[in-house]
Amino acid sequence: MQSLYRTVMVKKELSRKAKLSIYRIRELCQQFPHGITDQVIQNDMPHLEPQQRAAAINKLLSLGQLDLLRNSSGLLYRMKDAQSASKMKGSDNQEKLVYQIIEDAGNKGIWSRDIRFKSNLPLTEINKILKNLESKKLIKAVKSVAASKKKVYMLYNLQPDRSVTGGAWYSDQDFESEFVEVLNQQCFKFLQTKADMSRDSKQSPMVQRNSSFATSHEVWKYICELGISKVDLSMDDIETILNTLIYDGKVEMTVIAAKEGTVGSVDGQMKLYRGVNPVIQPTGLVKTPCGLCPVFDDCHEGGEISPSNCIYMTEWLDF
Amino acid sequence: MTAQEVRLCGLLLREHFGEVVEKVGTHLLRSGAQNLRTIIHETGLPLDLVKKSLCVLVQHGACNFRSGRKGPGCPTEYQASGDRILRILRYPRYIYTAKTLYGDTGELIIEELLQRGHMTMSSTVKTVADRLTQNMEGQGRSMDYSEVTSAFSKLVETQFLQRCPPMGGARNTKDSGSPPTPSTPATPGTPASTALLTPESFPDCYKVPHITLIGRGKRRHSSDDGEDQKSAKKAKMDPETHGDEGIYWQVNFERFHLHFRDQAVISAVANKLDQTCSEIVRTMLRMSEVTTSPSATCTKPLSANEIFRSLPASYNILRPILDQYLTLLVDDPMEFVGKAGESGGGMFVVNLHRALANLARATLESAVQERFGSRSARIFRLLLRKRHLEQKQVEDFAMIPAKEAKDMLYTLLSQNLVQLQEIPKTPDYAPSRTFYLYTVNQLPTARMLLQNCYKTVANLIERRLFETKESKRLLEKSQRIEAILASLQVSGAEPEQLTEVEEMITAPEKQQLESLRLHINKLDSAENQVDETMFLLEAYVSSTATSTA
Repeated sequence: MQSLYRTVMVKKELSRKAKLSIYRIRELCQQFPHGITDQVIQNDMPHLEPQQRAAAINKLLSLGQLDLLRNSSGLLYRMKDAQSASKMKGSDNQEKLVYQIIEDAGNKGIWSRDIRFKSNLPLTEINKILKNLESKKLIKAVKSVAASKKKVYMLYNLQPDRSVTGGAWYSDQDFESEFVEVLNQQCFKFLQTKADMSRDSKQSPMVQRNSSFATSHEVWKYICELGISKVDLSMDDIETILNTLIYDGKVEMTVIAAKEGTVGSVDGQMKLYRGVNPVIQPTGLVKTPCGLCPVFDDCHEGGEISPSNCIYMTEWLDF
Repeated sequence: MTAQEVRLCGLLLREHFGEVVEKVGTHLLRSGAQNLRTIIHETGLPLDLVKKSLCVLVQHGACNFRSGRKGPGCPTEYQASGDRILRILRYPRYIYTAKTLYGDTGELIIEELLQRGHMTMSSTVKTVADRLTQNMEGQGRSMDYSEVTSAFSKLVETQFLQRCPPMGGARNTKDSGSPPTPSTPATPGTPASTALLTPESFPDCYKVPHITLIGRGKRRHSSDDGEDQKSAKKAKMDPETHGDEGIYWQVNFERFHLHFRDQAVISAVANKLDQTCSEIVRTMLRMSEVTTSPSATCTKPLSANEIFRSLPASYNILRPILDQYLTLLVDDPMEFVGKAGESGGGMFVVNLHRALANLARATLESAVQERFGSRSARIFRLLLRKRHLEQKQVEDFAMIPAKEAKDMLYTLLSQNLVQLQEIPKTPDYAPSRTFYLYTVNQLPTARMLLQNCYKTVANLIERRLFETKESKRLLEKSQRIEAILASLQVSGAEPEQLTEVEEMITAPEKQQLESLRLHINKLDSAENQVDETMFLLEAYVSSTATSTA
């Protein structure tokens, strides 16, 4: 439901009838806190003409006591929070507009350029209003982790969403690589000890292999119990760490079907991880200096860099 | 042939056959098939030297000749085969394999055949028996010909040796106008092959001829040196026949390569899983040695019952345990073994091409890891798995900070290990509206690494030659001193004279000689190690070629 605003300044003498209708509408709103439609008002006061109804609603809107919302079936009028009504007292309509836009952006926040598009206000105005609201501690600016220069605005008391802060791996916009490394090694050690234990148990090979597997849930529990993490890590976080271990070639993963309700299963599947050994020893090429040489492409016989005067070879031969 | 391959072939030819052969060989490799006149003209060497070099190359199977392409009446053309010359690098590995499989006898047979190129069975047997007898001098025994013959027959049975294809249509009996081929029998071996016939297309390829060879190896006494030479000359002109004239044998390199490939797969299984699994795979490969063609994707299906019966006696595992191991092998993500059916307790195949691809991939990953670090290796493996990724996705999956990930990606890109794929959103390839995806193509990267291997081996050989040249003076001096010492010892000199001669080499010179020896050994062993990588990559590249053909 979107809020629509019409900043209409109506300066008219309110007749007694109009005042009555205003009070009535307000009571109706209080009766139905979820909001009332035009139809409800009409049913209640059938004698009220549409024009007068509209005028009454507009008056309430401009006083800031009603919220105008739209849903699929039409317009809704809702009583505004007394508290929020008091907050906005003293701000003018433009600020209210901007505030509303920011509120709608939820915990993802909204960029100042987007605010400008939505409210059609000039940039200078927007900046003034944003500064104003910030000083009143109604909104705050959060630096986005994706683009470090971009600032998104959101309501003061909201937690920024993970996509903005980067989640558990970022603290103050800095990627915590040491933290990730530590977690990496801990998970690997856990899986490796499990695999070694199962290998030493000398049971039948099937049992050995199955006991060397660990579900992602087990790894998550182990990491939580280790207590090396200051933030709470979810199972998804642990799975991203385990994926990096797969890309390191130290761990392999299988997926098995699991009954719904067993601990750790997601959508009837469970991911199992197992520490593995590398398939080959480091290949022969890298045991020579040429395999690691940074100027390999520039080397040829008779040139500045050649096998005959290669300093890497000299060092390697004297090793 | 690429420039690196030609360079390496030139160095190998120079080391084994001399500079003249090197010149002719590299010229042929660079220019393709040519006739004798053109070779003489372009290399500037005299006729008899060119003839002799061609003889040497043909003797070792590195050069083929055939009638000219322009029709009858054209002089014969010679073509060098670079692959065969590169095999020279692998000779130590072949000899070592023969030693492990067939003992010293087998080792010497293979060594003789590799050195001579083509030989008859009887001459091989005699030479090897003589050499073995010399080695056994201290024990007072001599080697019987029959032992060597049986070892030879065993080698032929398991197809490690094969007959050279006999002189076929290349003899030009039809067109009498053509000049006789220059490489006619001044040399003991006259193999010929047209470009189409392989040794295996002849039915008698692996048939051992019946030869009459009775006797024992001759011991060589140093006093009999003069006599020996005379008798050697006599033997050449001696019309002693043994029943196998004209049947020449050569080493079957393809069979050795299959053996190496099997060994690589077995050791990979042993590393990844455990010893018992590797024994099972070894049994399966042994059973399919002769039934599987060299370019097959996987071995013929073997039933679990057969495998159980053929396991070596020392591994008495129960039948259900074997089934469990087989299931484990099938479930492994590396897919070494696959299940092909359910009859006979389960039919299993070894996936050869897939195993080679996995080994090649592990080689690439190891090369990246050693050269660029484990985080770059993580990015490389990530791209191998996920095929195409944007830069942001690479950073997220690999959990590496953005700046460092960018740096590593660009380094890998500059070394051509990673490629960039552009997907435009708009018809003009505007950079802000194009997706840039990073990807790794395994086959081209493997080929590039293979070329690097060739260059590396060439570098190592050149360094070795350089080191020897630097210390040439010192080496000559030490050789002279050794000769003096030996002659003094034989003539019974006193110990003081010996020590006096020994002291002619000063201590720092001795040290220098020692370090030179260490260097040369290190370079030699490095060449062999790089050759192992080369073998894996070549096998992988050729396996993909045959599967797409």
